[in-house]
Amino acid sequence: MHEEPYTQAMLDLALKKSGGKKISEIRLEVGRFSAIVPASVEVFFRHLSAGTPAQGARLVFHSVPVTLTCTVCQKVLTLEIPPDAPVRPALGTALGRGCTCGEKKLKVSGGLGFDLIGLTVA
Amino acid sequence: MKTIEVRKSITAANDALAHELRSQFTRHGILVLNLIASPGAGKTALIEKTIARLGAAVSIKVVEGDPYTHLDSQRVIRAGAQSIQINTEGGCHLDAQMVGRAVDRFDLDQTDLLIIENVGNLLCPAAWDLGQDATVVVASLAEGADKPLKYPEAFTRAQVVVINKIDLEPHLPVTTAELRRNALTVNPELTVFEVSCLHSTGLDSWCQWIRDRIATKK
Repeated sequence: MHEEPYTQAMLDLALKKSGGKKISEIRLEVGRFSAIVPASVEVFFRHLSAGTPAQGARLVFHSVPVTLTCTVCQKVLTLEIPPDAPVRPALGTALGRGCTCGEKKLKVSGGLGFDLIGLTVA
Repeated sequence: MKTIEVRKSITAANDALAHELRSQFTRHGILVLNLIASPGAGKTALIEKTIARLGAAVSIKVVEGDPYTHLDSQRVIRAGAQSIQINTEGGCHLDAQMVGRAVDRFDLDQTDLLIIENVGNLLCPAAWDLGQDATVVVASLAEGADKPLKYPEAFTRAQVVVINKIDLEPHLPVTTAELRRNALTVNPELTVFEVSCLHSTGLDSWCQWIRDRIATKK
């Protein structure tokens, strides 16, 4: 259910950027580690956008991988997690394995966000 | 048809409000802590103990976030601090607009420390900036040692972890050391405190950390 405020914020931003024009597509980037479920965003969007210029707009989701940055050598590791696989076990394994430099001081540096990339308007 | 590039975080509007709040808090020299935890970890107990130890010398205000009740703000007021309750009506986190409306009711010139107790939830509260100086996760040992690995969102975004209920260690199949290790695995930059709010142990270093941070804000 926590997708509702995210969806409202996304809708508000899209409506602001569209300048009142009819929106046909909204392109979004969703971090694999954002705890945002696109299917839930779709559900809330249908209700929240009703009666606005965004009603009926297609939502296009692009997944952003999780990255870990070594706090010792600054190397950035990208986690290759299959789309249907859960993130947390893979993240736990990667954090436990540590960096290729041998240190285990990794910090999550990417894949946490939920961004509005662009719109298509009439 | 026209394409418009945006490339902004969905929380951009909240982030802008939080930025304004942070500037306001900085102008008043206030240290702001955003407390995040699962329900029952001991956020309110930690606030009560902090007020008891620091309240005589530090002017503390508390914003309480809760889905429906006023129970936490009543506890904080009984402990001796001014508190405003935000009821999110089922919402799972506080946002900057809610906090902004609440702090308008405080005299910020008479405030050294503002503690924001977020809604009990380890998933999304850390993603919504409230203008805080530090995000503090309260992790109770009774929840198990694996919570940093199961809910890394909060631990990843936090600067401090307070491990509470360490007095229960003899009765639990987990150790404080395991919980500390898992928290630092998820975020090696965390500052960790180990406390028992029930027995008032371990609170000296936590309160000293607050005093030191307040000094940097003045």
